[in-house]
Amino acid sequence: MASSLSPSLPATFSTLSSKSHHHSHSMQISFFQRKLSSLIIAKSSYTVSEVEATNGPLKQEEKQVEDKSLNTNELGVDIAEAQVFKDPKWRGGTWDLVQFQKGGVTDWDAVIDAEARRRKWLEDNPEASSTNEPVIFDTSIIPWWAWVKRYHLPEAELLNGRAAMVGFFMAYFVDSLSGIGLVDQMGNFFCKILLLIAVGGVMLVRKNEDIEKLKKLFDETTFYDKQWQATWQEDSQIISKNK
Amino acid sequence: MAALSSAAVAGQNSDFAGLRLASTASVGRNVARRRSLQMVDEFDLPLEIIDRRVTKMKMISPSNVAVDIGRTLKPHEYIGMVRREVLDAYLRDRATHAGATVINGLFLKMDSPPAGSGERYKIYYNEYSSSKSGTGEKKEMEVDAVVGADGANSRVAKEIGAGDYEYAIAFQERVKIPDAKMEYYKDRAEMYVGDDVSPDFYGWVFPKCDHVAVGTGTVTHKSDIKRFQAATRLRARDKIAGGKIIRVEAHPIPEHPRPRRVLNRVALVGDAAGYVTKCSGEGIYFAAKSGRMCAEAIVEGSAQGTRMIDEADLRNYLKKFDKTYWPTYKVLDVLQKVFYRSNSAREAFVEMCGDDYVQKMTFDSYLYKRVVPGNPLDDLKLAINTVGSLVRAGALKREMTRLAS
Repeated sequence: MASSLSPSLPATFSTLSSKSHHHSHSMQISFFQRKLSSLIIAKSSYTVSEVEATNGPLKQEEKQVEDKSLNTNELGVDIAEAQVFKDPKWRGGTWDLVQFQKGGVTDWDAVIDAEARRRKWLEDNPEASSTNEPVIFDTSIIPWWAWVKRYHLPEAELLNGRAAMVGFFMAYFVDSLSGIGLVDQMGNFFCKILLLIAVGGVMLVRKNEDIEKLKKLFDETTFYDKQWQATWQEDSQIISKNK
Repeated sequence: MAALSSAAVAGQNSDFAGLRLASTASVGRNVARRRSLQMVDEFDLPLEIIDRRVTKMKMISPSNVAVDIGRTLKPHEYIGMVRREVLDAYLRDRATHAGATVINGLFLKMDSPPAGSGERYKIYYNEYSSSKSGTGEKKEMEVDAVVGADGANSRVAKEIGAGDYEYAIAFQERVKIPDAKMEYYKDRAEMYVGDDVSPDFYGWVFPKCDHVAVGTGTVTHKSDIKRFQAATRLRARDKIAGGKIIRVEAHPIPEHPRPRRVLNRVALVGDAAGYVTKCSGEGIYFAAKSGRMCAEAIVEGSAQGTRMIDEADLRNYLKKFDKTYWPTYKVLDVLQKVFYRSNSAREAFVEMCGDDYVQKMTFDSYLYKRVVPGNPLDDLKLAINTVGSLVRAGALKREMTRLAS
């Protein structure tokens, strides 16, 4: 029996279905049974597919549960369900950029959104890798300026704002204490050091937790070296002991 | 095993009584291991012991982005797969031919003479000769120097108080899959990265003689290893469907060297010392090489067997080994720290692996055991691409967190 889709869905199922009926909330339940003589024991159950109408591209998730298959080994293994990522704009293992056109140009923001959604989906529901339709999407097809506009610029604005505020206040403070104006401060070596610290601090420490993170990072970079040097620490002790 | 055999062979040209305790109890890793060209050449390994030549690798990211690696390999380059039982037997036989005495025994403990006295070490071991069965008979032996090559759970290391190391647990199932599916793995190995497969390592499907080995490993979440293994099986599900598990094995893999590797006239080599690289978990080549270096240092320090060595001679071996391979270890450590951190870092890693230059550099350093600085312009481009990949993956990660909330 072919699955009947509710009229509001433009997408199609590419898999066979054997039974379906409608829900009042336009949800569909369809069957998919796949017999696998594999090393996975499966529970026999029915499949459920939910359709969510979202603002973006419609995404249909199919939960497939294999029925009891031949158990060919003594190890009982669970993992009985396979959920597959499906999206009308995801074709042939990559995003179909033609479908992301908005006003004649590709809407890169939507591509970034779609990829983030796909990765989130797969992180929560890991999926078997496939050889007939391998994923070949590469994030470098999204041009650099799309990334800059979306991620770098807002953060740069924030950091520059912070640096400006700190700079203004420090200039005023130093001026009030020493009477040196802004132009003369820039010529002073000590003030230049303060400037460097201020800029570096604003860039590296963006949240309170960053201080701890930086300390841990520094320890991490030298930890492996210390482990390798451990045998040499005893060098001096051994020599003095043998004397 | 590999370490001590090569040590014995290294000593063949001098007046040495090379004794070998080859313990049946430490039959150890009966897993097929990757072998590199450098090892085949340097240790004159016959090509018959290589079961398979892998020339294609697939790296699969957490979101199943698949990247093919191996385009840059030349026709004579490959990653050889061997079975440890075959390799170890070969090395043992070669050691015997070189003049070593191989004893099938289990090292129990040893009595160390006071430091600097020049007296001999007394080793207590169980000998398993073919006539007696079961537990073997207790024996003793007096030796001038001891090279501990008894693997990750080394008793020699315990005897000299070498200290502990963090270790990863590598878990592997050998799966016999139908011939049609085996065709895909004829010369292809796969590596899966992702939090589901391992939080700090990778899962793999390596082809062996007539079956595949599906496995994964972890340092930090050892109790979840079964879950990681199930996830690895899921990721490879379609490709190993219909397979039957014929063997299950697990082994500890050291993460860093022991705090003490040499004490008086006892030295550790190979896994006993902890010479396993990060990121790729490679240890066999370094085990064999360290064994050889240690033996060469002993031969040299004793002036071809004419005088007693002391600790300084063994430290020469340490110095040489550390100096030669430190860059390799450090680079792999940095790679692991940067690229195995999180799913987004792993996505960036797989993306980077698609680049030809990266593949060439990786294989050159893996196959020939050299960290080769390439063309500086290409290196700069590589650095920029790396940063780009990491930044993009990080940005996507931020989107993902935003979606979750």
